[in-house]
Amino acid sequence: MALNGDDEDFEWEPPSEAEMKVIQARRERQDKISKLMGDYLLKGYKMLGDCCDVCGTILLQDRQQKNYCVSCQELDSDIDKDNPALNAQAALSQVRERQLAAQSPVPSQTPELNGGPSSGQPSVSVPQPRPEHCEGAAAGGRALLPPPAVPPPPAEAVLTKLRWATTQLQGAASLEASIQLCSLITSCANSLRSLKELSQ
Amino acid sequence: MLPLEHLHLKHVLQTVGVLEAVILRSFGPEGGQVLFTRDTGQAMLSRSGTRILRALHLEHPLARMVVECVLKHSTVTGDGSKTFILLLASLLREIHTAASKEPHVSYSYNSLEAAEAATARHLADKLLAFALKELDDLIAMEVASHGCYISWEDFTVETHSPAHTNNHVQKLFASFFHMRLGYVHCAFISELTCELLNHWKCIGALPSFALQFLKDNFPALHTPVSGFPVTSSRLVEGQVIHRDFATPCPQTDHQPVKAVVFTGYLQPRLLNTGDVLEVGCGVTEERSIVHFSAWTERSLKCIIAHLQSLGISVLLSAVKQSAAVLALATQAEMCFVECVSEDELSLFAQLSGATPISDCWRIEPEHIAKLTFCRPILLGAHRYENMPVFSLIYKATHLPTKNYLGIIYTSNLQTLVTDAKPCSLIICGPGEGQTDQYACAFQDAISMLLTTWEPMPETGTTVAKRTVQSNKCTSSYTHNLTDSSTCTSSNLHSLHKCVLQPGCVIPAGGTFEFLLNHALLKLSHSCSASNDTNIGIPVSRLLASALLSVPKQIYSHSPGQFLQTRTRHNTTPIQSEVFRQDLGLESVSCKYQLLLAVLQCVTSLLRVDTVLHTHTALHTQSLADASWESTEDEAED
Repeated sequence: MALNGDDEDFEWEPPSEAEMKVIQARRERQDKISKLMGDYLLKGYKMLGDCCDVCGTILLQDRQQKNYCVSCQELDSDIDKDNPALNAQAALSQVRERQLAAQSPVPSQTPELNGGPSSGQPSVSVPQPRPEHCEGAAAGGRALLPPPAVPPPPAEAVLTKLRWATTQLQGAASLEASIQLCSLITSCANSLRSLKELSQ
Repeated sequence: MLPLEHLHLKHVLQTVGVLEAVILRSFGPEGGQVLFTRDTGQAMLSRSGTRILRALHLEHPLARMVVECVLKHSTVTGDGSKTFILLLASLLREIHTAASKEPHVSYSYNSLEAAEAATARHLADKLLAFALKELDDLIAMEVASHGCYISWEDFTVETHSPAHTNNHVQKLFASFFHMRLGYVHCAFISELTCELLNHWKCIGALPSFALQFLKDNFPALHTPVSGFPVTSSRLVEGQVIHRDFATPCPQTDHQPVKAVVFTGYLQPRLLNTGDVLEVGCGVTEERSIVHFSAWTERSLKCIIAHLQSLGISVLLSAVKQSAAVLALATQAEMCFVECVSEDELSLFAQLSGATPISDCWRIEPEHIAKLTFCRPILLGAHRYENMPVFSLIYKATHLPTKNYLGIIYTSNLQTLVTDAKPCSLIICGPGEGQTDQYACAFQDAISMLLTTWEPMPETGTTVAKRTVQSNKCTSSYTHNLTDSSTCTSSNLHSLHKCVLQPGCVIPAGGTFEFLLNHALLKLSHSCSASNDTNIGIPVSRLLASALLSVPKQIYSHSPGQFLQTRTRHNTTPIQSEVFRQDLGLESVSCKYQLLLAVLQCVTSLLRVDTVLHTHTALHTQSLADASWESTEDEAED
């Protein structure tokens, strides 16, 4: 083991607060897994010397010689819940993250007279330790930072669409178009309600 | 190429976490019982940690290693198997937290996990070194000063006149049995144990001799009888041999009964399988097989006559004798007991002073034991309360009975003190499993008491400390200490008077953990204040926070009480009023041994690096073997 570091020298940094929270969440999950496994052991399951290929948890075996992984088959996956494509909650929380990122330079814009260059890149000036509660969202948030163009606030966009749909509905001639516009209005209203709940 | 599996810290944590989850619900005075069932329909309730852990099906090598450590520790001290797992889990968690916050940045590793693992290993080694050097002094000064000492003379007080000192021993037993067997019978069982110890206390000058004797001979000194309530358990005088008479036992009068122990066959084996006996080939007379058997019978009669001439009326045999021997012994009115177990024979030999013999023609006076009487006991039956001084009469009922042989000795004990009153313990329980549990609890209680009275083991460091202190030479001493203990060198001169005396007990309910936690935190504060170059995490603080997991679990049903108790221990020194409370007592020595065992287990666990899956000829599935590999060379700082 070379000490002079001519190999890939791993530069270690103390974990940030976000990462500490991730560690804490992981530990709670591990405690849950341990408790479940303990219950199974008391029911007569056997603790094997192998680990699950997917998640690395120790495998159990029941009386019928069938292997069983507690975390894969019983608990929800650790990272699936943070994937916006799979979970609506994760998607909404990602929207909120972006909203926070957009809003944080806004108070600094108004007092500053020459805030032009700084307002052009609000995403870059957002400080790193944001209150991210899960690794997936943190990774998603970091990876999907928007380009320098300032996006409109989501509520504004939805309201605009709602107004447009209403005006369109007034002039709609066909039944199909009316039905589609009504459904669009419904979904806009639902989105607004969710955004309002998030912002509270 | 054998399949390798690298172990990470999280695997160790998970394994120990699972074991902790298993025993957690049975821990503490409020803990529940585990119901064991078999496919045959047998069921058993137990709260014993060793029994629960033994019943688990574990193939994981780390888990098996931990369980083995627990079982070995429990064999020595008799107690603390669940506390062991609890402390182990919380220590590992603390080490993991500390390692992930500040891994060793002076080395370069392939990954964060390797860095964490190395730091964890280092912390564990530091903890063990700290415990071996400093912990006994700390306990002697901070913890034992709040306790009291039980002495062997406490047992000389008669049990039916309860003196204050005798209550300490009973309280110690009561809290032990309360945790092990439940609340209902703990007072009765602890009284019975005290009575047993009272009878056997005079067997040697040192308490440890008597306790060791009891512990070693316990299988021969107790008789489990199932089908009765626990309160039917009692002591009987003399030794109970768990075998029925092979010949009818005649009523003996009060003269000393002479007995001999045989290890061989009385009837000599003249013919072995495969031998050919030729009869009828003599020149002078016609001989047949009848003559041969008559001749063998005559020689046997001579043997029995010889025994009768020596006055021997009881024969204990380790092997099964032939039918001819038994018939002749019945004719001669001698009591014969066959197939006596080795434990019982050795106990008999120790108590009576008679050595066993294999050749009946070489009987000397030292082979003959003198007994007061020898009569059968019927156990496993309802008994009538008819108890004159030495006779034990029981009426048999429909329950299956076992006929035992009861023997009482005279005070002819050459090797032992003559005031000893040998007695045997009859342990009753509702079912076989429960009775077995009670028997194990008795044995563990004796082990626990033995550990309490054992003087603390003198490690090399403690001996070195004493010699250095006597020479009053501090300069060379401070050079030899590590960073974490330099600040205590000034305190140690006053400490050499506070050696942990054997027999120290303190109130139960987490008191030991609270006091030690307080002492360790004080030590870590004084260390960080006086020694600024202390790099890394002070291990005393790690140990202090890990210790709190035990009382937290004891008071898990009422967190308010936990905080209350902790505040009380930290602010007011424990006075004697704590002993008046109904808390029960526990042994400081046992707790110290437990801590050391846990720290050693942690060190061993964190040194495991890789698992090699091997195939054996018998098993087609692969079995895992833990391999001990030291990691990269750790250069000195």
